[in-house]
Amino acid sequence: MAGQNNEQLIEHWKDEPAPLLPLLHAFHDRDGHLSEDALRAVSAALRIPLADLYGTVTFYHHFARFPPGMSAPRVCTGPVCRLVGGTELLEAMRKDGATPMACAGRCDEPIPVLTDHAVSVGATVEALQERPSPLPVANPGGLPECVFRSIRKEGRAGIAGYQKSGGYRALRSALSSGFPAAVIETVERSELAGRGGAGFPTGRKWRAVANEERGPKSVVCNADEGEPGCFKDRVLMDHDPHAVIEGMILAAYAVGASRGFIYLRYEYPQTAVILQRAIDEATEAGLLGDDILGGGLDFRIYVRRGAGAYICGEEGSLLNSLEGKHPFPRERPPYPVSHGFEDLPTVVNNVETLASVPPIIDRGGDWYRKLGLGDHAGTKVISLSGDIQRPGNYEVPIGFPLPTLLNEWAGGAPEGRTIQAVTMAGISGGFLAGDDLETTLDESSVRARGSMLGAGGIMVFDDSRDMVDVAHSCMEFFAHESCGKCFPCRIGTQRLTERLAEADDVGAAGPGDRADWAREVEDIGEVMKATSACGLGMAAPLITESLMRYWPDRVAEHVASRAS
Amino acid sequence: MSERHIEIDGQSVPYEEGETLLEAAGRTDAEIPTLCYDPRLEPFGGCRLCVVEIEGSHNPVASCARKCEDGMVVRTATDALEQHRKTLVEMVCSENRQVDVDPLSGFASQELAVLADRYDARTQRFVGRRSGQSRVDDDDNPFILRDYDQCISCYRCVRVCAEQEGDYAISVKGRGFDTQITVEFDGKLNESACTFCGQCVATCPTGALADRKALRHVDTPGPIEKTRTICPYCGVGCSVDLLTKGDSLVGVQPAMDGPANKGALCIKGQYAYDFVQHGDRLTTPLLRGDDGELHPASWDEALDVAAAGFLKARDEHGRHSIYAIASGRAPHEAAYTTQRFIRAGFWTNHVDNCSRA
Repeated sequence: MAGQNNEQLIEHWKDEPAPLLPLLHAFHDRDGHLSEDALRAVSAALRIPLADLYGTVTFYHHFARFPPGMSAPRVCTGPVCRLVGGTELLEAMRKDGATPMACAGRCDEPIPVLTDHAVSVGATVEALQERPSPLPVANPGGLPECVFRSIRKEGRAGIAGYQKSGGYRALRSALSSGFPAAVIETVERSELAGRGGAGFPTGRKWRAVANEERGPKSVVCNADEGEPGCFKDRVLMDHDPHAVIEGMILAAYAVGASRGFIYLRYEYPQTAVILQRAIDEATEAGLLGDDILGGGLDFRIYVRRGAGAYICGEEGSLLNSLEGKHPFPRERPPYPVSHGFEDLPTVVNNVETLASVPPIIDRGGDWYRKLGLGDHAGTKVISLSGDIQRPGNYEVPIGFPLPTLLNEWAGGAPEGRTIQAVTMAGISGGFLAGDDLETTLDESSVRARGSMLGAGGIMVFDDSRDMVDVAHSCMEFFAHESCGKCFPCRIGTQRLTERLAEADDVGAAGPGDRADWAREVEDIGEVMKATSACGLGMAAPLITESLMRYWPDRVAEHVASRAS
Repeated sequence: MSERHIEIDGQSVPYEEGETLLEAAGRTDAEIPTLCYDPRLEPFGGCRLCVVEIEGSHNPVASCARKCEDGMVVRTATDALEQHRKTLVEMVCSENRQVDVDPLSGFASQELAVLADRYDARTQRFVGRRSGQSRVDDDDNPFILRDYDQCISCYRCVRVCAEQEGDYAISVKGRGFDTQITVEFDGKLNESACTFCGQCVATCPTGALADRKALRHVDTPGPIEKTRTICPYCGVGCSVDLLTKGDSLVGVQPAMDGPANKGALCIKGQYAYDFVQHGDRLTTPLLRGDDGELHPASWDEALDVAAAGFLKARDEHGRHSIYAIASGRAPHEAAYTTQRFIRAGFWTNHVDNCSRA
């Protein structure tokens, strides 16, 4: 887009579906920031009121309004990166104009630094280098996998390698059978459920969209993997992009959709290139476009990059963001199955969910269901990071014991250390510690311990870590990412952060009396869990709840240090 | 077809398709608190004070946004809900400089204070950083005070500007606790798309947006009285309440139940009333003397001269030589009288009003 003038950029994008974000990115990429001139041009071209557009642009962390803009480094100071020197790296790069960014999804090899369109990783300035996402290691238990089944095959990211290892076989057979309903039946039989964390049965979602009469329908792939400690979707998209695309085409066929969107987080610029290359290959091969494989299906996929907002992983916010609106969550009902993108029926599925579909169609619903242990169906990718010998992504059967994953598969805590605690669901499930580390990895067991499995991010903290400090950084994240729509979350995340801050921190506030402190923190937590408008506000207090449950003495000490 | 009902606090309530729980509850004794709600606007679900329990639903739901469904069993004031509401109001109080503001600030300006009293929420709990930054630099508009230290991010101003006025002048900058109500490029109101209709002021529940003109009269003694009338500036017929203290007109508020305007006004109806008590106004008739200067006169003298002039014009040039224009700044009664005077007095239809829009 370099060298193009305003009119050319606008001409290119204005009639495309979901044009606002890509048009803003086009200006942002060209100029390095979004100038007043650019915003006035976009406002006029897309007929968006200038005040609205200005406000919406300021919502996104990575849209710069002024130079040096996107060329200034952004350094991850997420919970895992802080363990290995994220704060120090940021300070070392301040002279280059560096600013902090929330967890950027490279917890398997910290610390990511985002500059322009490139992410480098490394623990020090000297060590920083651009590297592809690490492949998952061979399944340490030798267990059968679903989404990782073929990901390690040579050339899998290209269409030739993908097809050589069985790719697009499921789509071909589904299209030639001529029965979209059969796809839904197989997915229902597999008991596949949303792998983004909400766990809604995928088949039921697809059936609801298929039953809607209005159109055009859309399939939206939620690739806004913003949960701290989660980096599974990145690895799937980087190494098996055609699996995601095939899953989307199968979804489109099943529900009768003609438009597909991949909403990709800003912090994965290399992934954007990989996805677009795969889409181009698939289009070239007649797998996307009109009359796909002669089966009568018309379907196209558009990559839309976010711009730095965790809340856009929430499906209502994601849809508002796609539509160019302020990315607040939507009130539900109505749900996206009937009122999604542009208020029309829409499937919104996570990357891992969609990537699970081709093997399921290929091998059958029963095959997938039986991959789970006991009564549990299927598998889950766990992103493991922090104080652990072998961080990375592991695909485990649902119902798998957490201790086996931590100690046998991933090698346990670093030499001389023991595991003090883990987070669950990234940080949305709060902490597990003590006997609760004995849980199995399935929603019912984890929930029985006051947490949740969610998107499957697990961060490990050894016995040298101060859990109040960890909790503070988690809550700081939620406060930074709270959208500001609903009162309990907007005020609650701020107040909890202030109460977790160390006494000498400028951001500290709250009672110095232990009982008063606990009552405030509990009251805020209760109201957030019960009344927040979306999952962010409901989940954030699990941090303080579990902190007080497992480490009451440390909390008492923390409060006492503030009393003086 | 049988009528559809929901049960609210044990009472069976019929509803119309598409109605929200809050609307249906409005016909019962239930008193559901709200802060982000304005019945004229689309449901938003921000303040969460209106949450109610629905049987079979795990979490409370925002009654302003949830539509009635036949057979729903709703509880609006359980102990748990009331506890949540108290906590929420305490949290909201903690983000502002003060809870109490002068009622001259605006029509809805007392909403937070009323809830703070109802929930006994002036507890000073949850202290911490305050949200919002007042625009003390924006003092070159005489109408709207932007005291965002008092803002609670309910977005009623943003939504009324878009949905009612269609100006889209106000929006939301940033996110979370750093949310700030703004206009394009963070500028001043009079350099923005704002038309100073004042509807954002009228809907603000905390006085964060306040009526700068009315606030000049905070220290004027006496209680505020409201007198309902119709704005004389044009033909739409917006209902307004004139605010007075003693003999002084201190402000204008739109009437939310005005059939023509439902709480809307324009800059003239809202703010253009200074002429009423302006020092330049005539307080006695003036007659031009032989010296060419104006001299104070009695009403009898002035009316005699005026009558003679009208009659002379009519007798010499006919009844259609007379034409009257009533002033938009005069009361309706005066406009009506002018019309009768010209039509019945002179038998001509040559009459108009300067604000015939």
